[in-house]
Amino acid sequence: MSGSGPSRDSDSGKAIVAEHLCKVFNVNKGFLRRTKSQVVAVKDVSFEVDYGELFGVVGPNGAGKTTIIKMLTTMLLPTSGRAIVLGHDCQKDVTKVRERIGIVLGGERGLYTRVSAVDNLNYFADLYGVQKNIRDKRVKELLDFMGLSDRAHNRVETFSKGMKQRLHLARGLINDPDIIFLDEPTLGLDPEISIETRHMIKELVEKGKTILLTTHYMFEADELCKRVAVIRNGEIVALDTPSGLKKYVMDTSVVEVEGFGITDKEVAKFKEIPDVVSVSADLGENKQILKLQTSKGSEIIAEVQQILKNSRIYDIKIKEPTLEDAYLRLVEG
Amino acid sequence: MPETMRVIYSAFRMAMLHWMADPQWVIPNIIAPFVFTTVALTLFKDSTGPFGLYAVLGGGMMGMWGNTIYSSGYAIEFEKWQGTLEEVIAAPSNLMHVITGRAISNALFGLTNMLAVLLIAGLIFRVPLGIADPLLFAVGLILTLLSVSALGLIFASAFVLSRSAQALTNGLETPLYIISGSMFPIALLPFWIHPAAYVLGPTWGIDAVRLATSADYASQSFWAGMNPSFAIFLDLMIMMLITLAYVFAATALFKIVEKRARTTGTMVEA
Repeated sequence: MSGSGPSRDSDSGKAIVAEHLCKVFNVNKGFLRRTKSQVVAVKDVSFEVDYGELFGVVGPNGAGKTTIIKMLTTMLLPTSGRAIVLGHDCQKDVTKVRERIGIVLGGERGLYTRVSAVDNLNYFADLYGVQKNIRDKRVKELLDFMGLSDRAHNRVETFSKGMKQRLHLARGLINDPDIIFLDEPTLGLDPEISIETRHMIKELVEKGKTILLTTHYMFEADELCKRVAVIRNGEIVALDTPSGLKKYVMDTSVVEVEGFGITDKEVAKFKEIPDVVSVSADLGENKQILKLQTSKGSEIIAEVQQILKNSRIYDIKIKEPTLEDAYLRLVEG
Repeated sequence: MPETMRVIYSAFRMAMLHWMADPQWVIPNIIAPFVFTTVALTLFKDSTGPFGLYAVLGGGMMGMWGNTIYSSGYAIEFEKWQGTLEEVIAAPSNLMHVITGRAISNALFGLTNMLAVLLIAGLIFRVPLGIADPLLFAVGLILTLLSVSALGLIFASAFVLSRSAQALTNGLETPLYIISGSMFPIALLPFWIHPAAYVLGPTWGIDAVRLATSADYASQSFWAGMNPSFAIFLDLMIMMLITLAYVFAATALFKIVEKRARTTGTMVEA
């Protein structure tokens, strides 16, 4: 794997330029009475990514993150707007863009499970036009980098989830891309493997790669990204550094309640309090965590105790807002 | 190796690895030919002349047809089921070259189907397997396989463009066996069916293979009365021209497939 920086052939000096990107899907329903409707997946999205930057795109399910990635990787045509990657128009210079980018889509699919890791990598190397002498060396290097050398000739169906994810990453790097698009790379992975994956992502940035990452996990975006775009209903609602985004909630603090027996009805009551900006609840079977983002600070504690009088409260903490709190405030409007 | 050939070879190799890894290939390639051969030889057991070999060839052709068209037609669907279609489309290589490699691999497996029929007939049913011109037989068989592969490319793109194409092909499987002359010579079919037979490349290939197999077939060939070697040459030339037309049609269809995939984003959904 090359450690040298990418060749910069963009007039704008940017690795990625998204200019007013829009994507509208036509949806046909029914058989006898066919109805046509339109779904706006992405609305007027514009941003730029510098060479060597790790840029994050966060948003809830269905916000349009994957659609943006697909337009930037030539897999989808925008309804309007322009996507420029490494100086090439994604709509017209499809092959030039594809040759120099890598894509890692999350999940366990996307690999040929009946064949070995080496066969998977060799195959994709050929599809990317990697010369045979370079291919063999690179496949070996990538398997070493991902810690898969011992299992190189085993069928992928015998791999654990974490091993498959590492193989996905190796496949995304097979053409030594200048830009890597990572779509939720740690989704569904256990904490240990997620940490390992994030470590690898950091190493790639150190090697000079530009990375566009989508994720659901705010701590991941906070740890890895230089800048983050928050997407809601297909639109960018904020774009800043993680610390810049946290400023959106600087006027608030987070009250974290740990308890048991908290009901959805009680959670709804918190949402009605005017000074509460956002409410998130993890109502597990054994332990429940309720987070209230509020401008009232510790003054709200009495009110919390009143609403939860029929529940058990183990602990109440006042915390500084995190990127997750900023995100919740932004996506909840 | 030129870029295109490398992609085709790599896709061919990947498909072969999958065939080998999946024991299900035994059903279409060994068990089905065995059934075909048994039925065909039972039907022709009281006939005189080279009917045994004729029936065996028919069974083999049918197996080859079904195997190749089914596998090639579902080549893109296979990538969907694997969840690899997005990754393949995102690569800079042409999707049609990838599917071509898969289709050729399927054709080669189709050939094993035919060989299995011949072996089963010869070793188990003791059918005499004398082939009049082994070289032309082999050339005819290989070119027919390529023609079937090219037809498979059209099916592959049609399956993606329209779900009804799948249902249509399933329904057309048996009529195709009949029209292409796999089951019995075209000459025995009503005249109005002949034009449909003539636009199928493999129809001509099957005629060539039968001519190369037995001199007794010459009277039922498209070129009755002509020198058999020249007749085979004409059959193969016509088939290659039709195959070329298939390739052009498939190229156009694949462009539509890719454009639609990039516009609607629905192609990769399993």
